[in-house]
Amino acid sequence: MEPLIKVRNLTKDYRLIKKREGVTGGLVDLIRPRKELLRAVEKVSFDIPAGEMVGYIGANGAGKSTTIKMLTGILTPTAGTVTVGGLVPWKQRLQYTRHIGVVFGQRTQLWWDLAVVESFRLLKKIYEVDDATYDRQMKLFDDLLEVGQYLHQPVRKLSLGQRMRCDLAAALLHRPRVLFLDEPTIGLDVLAKENVRIFLREICEREGVTVILTTHDLGDIEQLCKRVIIIDKGRVHFDGELDNLRRRVGRRVRMTVELRDSATSGELAAITAGLPVTWDEVQGLRHHAEFNRVEVPGAEVIKRLVNECHVLDLHMAEQGIDEVVREIYRQSGREAS
Amino acid sequence: MKETEINWTDLPQKNRMERTVWQAGIFAAYFAQFVKMRLAYRMDFFVDTLAVSFSMVIQLAVLSTLFSKVKALDGWSFEQVLFIYAFSLLPLGLFNLVSVNLYRFSDQYIIQGKFDRVLLRPVGTLAQVIFESFNVSGLNEILLGIVMMTYAGMKLGLDFGVQEILMLAVLAPSASLVYMGVFLAITSVSFWHEDRMGLAPPVYNIIRFSRYPITIYSLPIRIFLTFVLPFAWVAFFPATWFLGSEEFGRLALLTPLVGLVVFGGSVLIWQRGVRNYASTGS
Repeated sequence: MEPLIKVRNLTKDYRLIKKREGVTGGLVDLIRPRKELLRAVEKVSFDIPAGEMVGYIGANGAGKSTTIKMLTGILTPTAGTVTVGGLVPWKQRLQYTRHIGVVFGQRTQLWWDLAVVESFRLLKKIYEVDDATYDRQMKLFDDLLEVGQYLHQPVRKLSLGQRMRCDLAAALLHRPRVLFLDEPTIGLDVLAKENVRIFLREICEREGVTVILTTHDLGDIEQLCKRVIIIDKGRVHFDGELDNLRRRVGRRVRMTVELRDSATSGELAAITAGLPVTWDEVQGLRHHAEFNRVEVPGAEVIKRLVNECHVLDLHMAEQGIDEVVREIYRQSGREAS
Repeated sequence: MKETEINWTDLPQKNRMERTVWQAGIFAAYFAQFVKMRLAYRMDFFVDTLAVSFSMVIQLAVLSTLFSKVKALDGWSFEQVLFIYAFSLLPLGLFNLVSVNLYRFSDQYIIQGKFDRVLLRPVGTLAQVIFESFNVSGLNEILLGIVMMTYAGMKLGLDFGVQEILMLAVLAPSASLVYMGVFLAITSVSFWHEDRMGLAPPVYNIIRFSRYPITIYSLPIRIFLTFVLPFAWVAFFPATWFLGSEEFGRLALLTPLVGLVVFGGSVLIWQRGVRNYASTGS
């Protein structure tokens, strides 16, 4: 079966001008700028079949947004090809953009000063959505996202969570076949994040939309995507099932324990002897340990600690996407050398 | 079973005529939105209208003072000069009406990255940028131009028949294409070179030269205004057609061609620029 999205050796260089300092430097820059080439994306290739939801993740500056911008036709790549359903995004822009929806978490796609409903009406006209579809979509968005209550407020007056819901609705108004989401949950509180995720799952099941999602939040990936592509320094470091990623990286957690009486890291290590737990050097009454949940059940560590010491407080944090990426990057670096 | 291939042609195919109607509809909607937005800031709208009316009164006062001292200018009578000046306000007004976003393009669209959104919509990029905002004071300039032209025309005893009105309807928009073209070319530079200051303000000042008969300038300036920065075509050449000048009136007929060439060339530069657009970091 032919994949819907085909990306081959996609590469993007940015030409940066390195500014010299001071007024004389500025003048010299005018005549002979120091140009530097920065490779943001290097030979990225992947296929995505229709209806799949893929997480595209990486640390800041890894090349995620640049890739998304090439896939949506905003940027023209330096080299390589992209076809989505046979169209080249940056060449057949007018035809292509009718069938995609895009949400940038950092920036709204709506008209800042207009009431939300005015933005929707304008989009209806631009994408030539017929009245019946428009009404059906608006009802769907009101049921799932409760956008009805903000319709008459100007976009600039909405909270981030409200604005994100409206942005999602706006991106899906014309029933696109492909949806690109760049950090759709950034800056949202736990509840708002959950709402966005539930909505995305629902809409993708109903409409069979193909989704590419970039995020910093492992929770987004866990709840939405089966497949993950990890990018770092512009290159793909992992492309596969989320379960595979888990097996490779495990589930590393960082535990913070507050004890009534301070203990040395040696003493603590003795308590967890036999378990692969590493204790940091002690600072005050807080003690930090790291272990892999796949290897060590958290309950076992807690049980031993509570038995041996007077525990005042305890906190466990799952590692974020940055650490997963670093771990994958470390592993692939080791394989390469 | 999910669809594996997108049916890209599932939307109604349009011929050129239908496309034009569709696009005109979108831009009408943009304009309606703009008006609504202005009305939302009611106080702003009020202050703006007041400011524009005030600046019109000042302009008129300056002109009448100027022309009360000067009776003729290099063989051009006061009324003729006034007529050329008045004509120049029509293309300038049309240009000002739609060019606000070109003026702030580098800052808002390139540096702040608003151009991303423009590229994501299935509508031409230039049209979107131009129609996303308007400058209502352009309408005041057009109005002032028409009033002054009527006055000067009556004093000169010109007859304004159907033919003259048709010519005006062709020449004024063509002349404003020259403005649009020049400033579009300057705006397009920001795709390659981010610069908040820009070339626009100095060029904008040169517009003033174009309001007077170019015969009053030295030869190098005349050549410059005819061929390099062709502002002689925005007022002097087309206006002289109405004044019945043998020498320059014939050149007026070339105005639409000059407008199309300058504007068309700039659209090509713009399109190249779009391909070079680098977006912002995030």
